[in-house]
Amino acid sequence: MLQRPVHPAFSTLRYALILLVVLFAAFPIFWMILTSFKPPGDIMVSPPRLFFSPTLDNYVHAIVDKDFLRYVTNTLIVSVISTVFVVVLGSLAAYSFARYNTGDGHILFFILSTKMFPAIAVVLPYFLIFRDIGRTGIGQFLQIGLDKPGALIISYTMFNLPFAIWLLVSFFQDIPRELEDSARLDGLSRLKVLRKVVLPLAAPGIAVTAIFTLIFCWNEFLFAYILTRKTWSTVTVGVESFFTLQGILWGPVAAAATLAVLPMLLFVLAMQRWMVRGLTFGAVRG
Amino acid sequence: MIELRNVTRRFGLTTLAIKGLDLTVQDREFLVLYGPAGAGKSTTLKMIAGIVRPTSGDILRDGQSLLGVPPERRDMAMCFENYALYSHLSVFENLAFPLRAKGVADSEIQAKVTRIAETLGIPHLLERRPGFLSGGQRQRVALGRAIIRPASTYLLDEPIGHLDAKLRHRMRAELKAMARDLASTIVLTTTSSREALALGDRIAVLDQGVLQQLGTPEEIYHRPVNEFVASFVGEPPMSFLDATVEQEGGQPALRLRSGHRLPVGPGWAAPLRGSACRLGVRAAELSIADQADDRHAVPVTVDQVELLGHVRVVRLGLGQELIAVVVPPERHLVPGQPLWLAIDPARLHVFQDGRAVSHPAMPTVH
Repeated sequence: MLQRPVHPAFSTLRYALILLVVLFAAFPIFWMILTSFKPPGDIMVSPPRLFFSPTLDNYVHAIVDKDFLRYVTNTLIVSVISTVFVVVLGSLAAYSFARYNTGDGHILFFILSTKMFPAIAVVLPYFLIFRDIGRTGIGQFLQIGLDKPGALIISYTMFNLPFAIWLLVSFFQDIPRELEDSARLDGLSRLKVLRKVVLPLAAPGIAVTAIFTLIFCWNEFLFAYILTRKTWSTVTVGVESFFTLQGILWGPVAAAATLAVLPMLLFVLAMQRWMVRGLTFGAVRG
Repeated sequence: MIELRNVTRRFGLTTLAIKGLDLTVQDREFLVLYGPAGAGKSTTLKMIAGIVRPTSGDILRDGQSLLGVPPERRDMAMCFENYALYSHLSVFENLAFPLRAKGVADSEIQAKVTRIAETLGIPHLLERRPGFLSGGQRQRVALGRAIIRPASTYLLDEPIGHLDAKLRHRMRAELKAMARDLASTIVLTTTSSREALALGDRIAVLDQGVLQQLGTPEEIYHRPVNEFVASFVGEPPMSFLDATVEQEGGQPALRLRSGHRLPVGPGWAAPLRGSACRLGVRAAELSIADQADDRHAVPVTVDQVELLGHVRVVRLGLGQELIAVVVPPERHLVPGQPLWLAIDPARLHVFQDGRAVSHPAMPTVH
């Protein structure tokens, strides 16, 4: 492709703007990480200090005294299982909508409409429902109840499915129908066509959906705050627990927040290639 | 034998893709579905394949309805117009796909894929993904994937339409040879009259979802049942002239719209209702001369000249109407040049209300 020569002033301006945006987005994270290594006396001073003698005390406090790694484990379990549910159920639903126009668009719209009210509107009913289910035998067996992983997994699956379905529908719609027809004629049954043709072609879209769902679950606060107390709290609730009546322990908060952000940050960096591919390679060419 | 009985296919509420189609495909026949875009050719093919359900009517094979049989159990292979290549698989795996689905051994797959790639001239592309191929290359992969395995019926939806001229010519010969070797039923769709005439044992001409005519290439070419078929089969297309029949002193004659009189023999009388009709004439049946003589009696002017290589197609203006003639390429003509045209009444197709009423005698029927 031929590219028009860009005036040097424009390209300088362009990079300046990019730098500005990057600084704006990255500075809080940088400051959080920096704060997590500061001794208490260096945190709230004015003017803020860039140079100080780093300490691991905050991490020791968060991990040893507050058992923060348990929150990370909880979050990991709940998020990954929710994501698996969302991707499996979402793919099946999205395929049905994309290929058979199930419900003539009405069901698809209804699913989207569940995204139109704020989570806070349903969190109280959820609390009551899970409290009651938790008291039944089945609820206890399936770990569905207050401060149990099942309650969070169900909530997260419910709340992420609409978005996942909408994202996946467009990916499935991009797969030409003829590809499936052709595979049928080549001798594959419907299910085999799904496995050998549709799923491999939708893989980038499924990956993107999974990544987004995982991020949303990981960062969720409201449901985790209301539906858990101590045992099954997630990282976001864990960080919040450092805001005590005695005051906010800024050092340990920063350390805990860093621990909460780090896994997702590394994960997204590793998956970046896939995400870009999935988001830009919408059309399946063949 | 595949039979379509009164098959109709609707898309949505208003679009009728196929209207009451009755069509029989004989065993081991090469049937060409020929018609303009939107005629319903692909839909017909897909209904035979089982991937589009007829809205009404029945499709039978050897007397048994196929409607309840899923595509994977119909033993048919299809080549799709838009190629439908699996973009996540290499060309090799695309070609191997139907064989793998049937559980063919790896060594045999290797051999078959290699052989088909040779035939189609794509052995150097086997490792590539379809996304990196040109349109013509993709079409060859699609065709190869359709013909790589034995099937009772091959359904080929414009399988060579997007190839360059040279390759298309070669593939036409390959298809013909393949039809002989495979000894299977082949249904092919095309929008090229040349392809239809060259390939088909029989041709079904479709227009707007309605079967216009079903017959051998000779029948379709020499005995078109209506103006649509007449104008759509053959290159250049048949020319049409409005005319009325006159009786002057017991001698019938055709009066053209331009005012010219064309005496016809007493035996000519086509079974006409009324006197108005439309005359159809093939370009090859006409001759032109620089000077008027007994035969060349109709004055015309050259409108446009088109060189096809082996012939020149000349459009002549006759009053308000245009008429196509072919001349040898060395004959040089310029637009505006006056000429004299000979129309042999014995070589005229006569149409009334769009339908054929009489045809010239067939040239030596064998």
